Amino acid sequence: MNFGQQLINGLVMGHAFALVAIGWTVLLGVARLVNFGHGQMYMLGAFVTWFAIATLGMPYLVAIPIAIVVGVLVGLLMQRIMLQATFEQNLVSIMIMTLGFGYVLHGAAALFFGSTGQILDTPLSSKEIAFGDLWLTWQDAAIIVVAIVEFIVLKLIIDRTRIGRLVRMVAEDPKLAELAGVNVRNVYLGVFAFEGAAVAFAGAMVGPRTPILTSMGFDEVIMTFVVVVLGGIGSVTGSYLAGIALGLFTAFFGAMVSPAYTTAAAFVVLIAVLVLRPGGLAAGAR
Amino acid sequence: MMTRFRYLLVPVLAALLYFAPAIAGGSGAIYSAFVLMAIFAVMAYGLDLIVSDLGEVSLAHTVFFAVGSYTTALLSTRLGAGGWTTLAASLAAALIFATVLGLITLRLREFVFSLVTYAIAVVAATVAQNWSFLGGSDGLRGIPPLDMSFLGISLKAGNDREIWPFAFALLCVVLYLVERFRRSRLGSAAIMSHLNPRLAIMSGVDPQAVRLKVFLFSAPLTAAAGWLYAYQRAYVSADILDSYFLILMLTAVVLIGRRVLLGPLLATMLVLSQEKFLSLGGYADKIVLGSVLVATLAFFPGGLIGLFRRLRSALRTRPSISQEATSLDRTV
Amino acid sequence: MSDRSESFVLRASDLKVAYAGNTALSIEQIDVRRGEVLGVVGANGAGKSTLVNALAGWSRGAPRVSGQVMLDGVDLSAMPPHERARAGLLLVPEGKLVFGEMTVDENLSSLVGMSQDADRRFYDREAVFELFPRLSERRNHLGSQLSGGERQMLGIGRALMLGPRALMLDEPSIGLAPRLVSTVLQTMRTLASTGLAVLLVEQNVRAAIDVVDRLVLLERGRVVAQGPADAMRNDPRIAQAYLGASST
Repeated sequence: MNFGQQLINGLVMGHAFALVAIGWTVLLGVARLVNFGHGQMYMLGAFVTWFAIATLGMPYLVAIPIAIVVGVLVGLLMQRIMLQATFEQNLVSIMIMTLGFGYVLHGAAALFFGSTGQILDTPLSSKEIAFGDLWLTWQDAAIIVVAIVEFIVLKLIIDRTRIGRLVRMVAEDPKLAELAGVNVRNVYLGVFAFEGAAVAFAGAMVGPRTPILTSMGFDEVIMTFVVVVLGGIGSVTGSYLAGIALGLFTAFFGAMVSPAYTTAAAFVVLIAVLVLRPGGLAAGAR
Repeated sequence: MMTRFRYLLVPVLAALLYFAPAIAGGSGAIYSAFVLMAIFAVMAYGLDLIVSDLGEVSLAHTVFFAVGSYTTALLSTRLGAGGWTTLAASLAAALIFATVLGLITLRLREFVFSLVTYAIAVVAATVAQNWSFLGGSDGLRGIPPLDMSFLGISLKAGNDREIWPFAFALLCVVLYLVERFRRSRLGSAAIMSHLNPRLAIMSGVDPQAVRLKVFLFSAPLTAAAGWLYAYQRAYVSADILDSYFLILMLTAVVLIGRRVLLGPLLATMLVLSQEKFLSLGGYADKIVLGSVLVATLAFFPGGLIGLFRRLRSALRTRPSISQEATSLDRTV
Repeated sequence: MSDRSESFVLRASDLKVAYAGNTALSIEQIDVRRGEVLGVVGANGAGKSTLVNALAGWSRGAPRVSGQVMLDGVDLSAMPPHERARAGLLLVPEGKLVFGEMTVDENLSSLVGMSQDADRRFYDREAVFELFPRLSERRNHLGSQLSGGERQMLGIGRALMLGPRALMLDEPSIGLAPRLVSTVLQTMRTLASTGLAVLLVEQNVRAAIDVVDRLVLLERGRVVAQGPADAMRNDPRIAQAYLGASST
């Protein structure tokens, strides 16, 4: 095992995990909503991008916004249907509904895109950067850069802007926010739209790394779950750091032990943490 | 309900259901459909206790189902065990898994609990796919026909028509157990913890202990369904952990209405009828099933029974000006 | 546009709140006039919180709410809570009334460009600090780090920033030391003198009666007595509510 190479792999994977998890960080932290359809929305983002490139012949840079728009629409549709349950903070209903949505997305995607695996080819994924005997693709580098930028921008928005304040008010106490004149319904819609956009974007960016199948998405949900809980629910910085940590763990575990069981191993680590410290690792968990 | 006539009604309905496949033509496809309806209904009843009574979402019940199936497959193919042995082993294995799972998730909050159960199901699917002991991606084949003979009485089932009496019996046993549970102290404690945890605690109920106990009671029910399913299909593989079973279970629990005894059975019958007799194609059926689940919870959370009641009262009285709550999970 | 010929700023007519057939609140009419402090008192469970919550457009649980709420001639009855807040009907609720995870400064940040209504005064942060100097000393502290009295001040300050025409307070004196209670209640007096209509829900009748212009007594969701504070002081039923509240 080449330590340096695994380090790079781990960093790339870590940023990928963080990128996939960013929508959940806001969703869970702000609206206390769980989206079990997350994995399928990721899959949809990857497939829409693939479809735009392979079938419609669009350049990658155009395919990405298309995937994001589809993601936003799906997110908005989901939240619009779940609005009543969201207001009542009916977590059971919400969880089951998002599971149902995910299942519908899976069926629809399989129907439309087919059930065979595809490779999401982008101009970046075939070119490599090498230092000595270490290498990564330009796609990998892009993932890292994009993830860092997205996290910084999100943190700035939440901490420094008016919209961020609105979102934090609703996160803390929706009723009080309403009494203070905030249109909480629009905030919930906005947060779900962000989740849709972010996870679709992640699908477009990270999808090229492995073959994509319309039946995928479950591992992504677990990894996202692990990242968000380990990082402290609602903590943007925490999610980023947890993502990196998880990426490194996955890389080394995969290289030293077994590549097939990396998700299972990550999950076991999470269980250990949850059993010992039910609030997660970072402070400020809600 | 018409309690006075209940003693008459139950045997009559039961007989009707038992002879229904014969009445409907008695072909192999009909019996297969009915057997699956019974098996999946039993599978759903385990989850029903958790969702409707306890008020939580356990996504790990697919694992209990799989545990039942795999245990049965392993013991019958590798050790030649008979029907009673495999049943006992399936129930025991389910109890062990449920205990471990229950203890791990003991102190977890609502949605973290659900996330953990979800992850366990995904991990179980990975293990089932990759572990050669469980047959890997090929699964375990050659499960012998069900044999529950004892004391010289031959009780074998080689095809769906022969399995139907066993499926029917299992269904009746589970219905009885669910009804008993709902009338028991544990059942009341579960409802109390669900609706008002603080009040429950102040009444001497320990919500965590209750959750664990309900978990332990519900897991074998679902595992029993898995046990019979292994015989019905004659092979077991990782696709038993497919999300199809989870979505089916959830729909069965919510479609008719919460805590309606025959609810999961009726819902399972509806869904499977669509699948077998009005199918739109594999993936389109997925869309239908998922949409039914979402639509039920979004637009008539009280299930079809709740919808029926609302329509009836809307036709009787003048509509009121202001809004009414539609969710069953009202927190006051 | 507001109709100045009406003497009331806030009027609730035929306000009913019912849970599953049980009437929690049934009010024929309650008015709050410009520049007056109206006190609403009654024993626990009399419906005081239900009243102000219903006026604000929010309800605990899912009851049937019917009736009309008018604010300066505008019918708010069909509006959701956040629109009523923006229209100028502000509620400082009981219990959780500030954002604990934001600083005092952040709690006192304006949200949107407020309407330029001549008859509404939109306090800015400095004006709130002038009213409550204690808060400016604690401006970088989190809401959760404030004392009970400071939180009450912050809650009122936050409401003032939204330019209320009518301000409702739900039991501001709960958990406050007696000296603070009189400070908070005196502030109500001061605010009313600037033209604000104030509806004060209080369990502490003794403290409230010194500050309010008129008093309304609620019992089991209905108005059983109302009148000017001086007249109500001698009402035997107030003495009863008084005794009921003497445990605070």
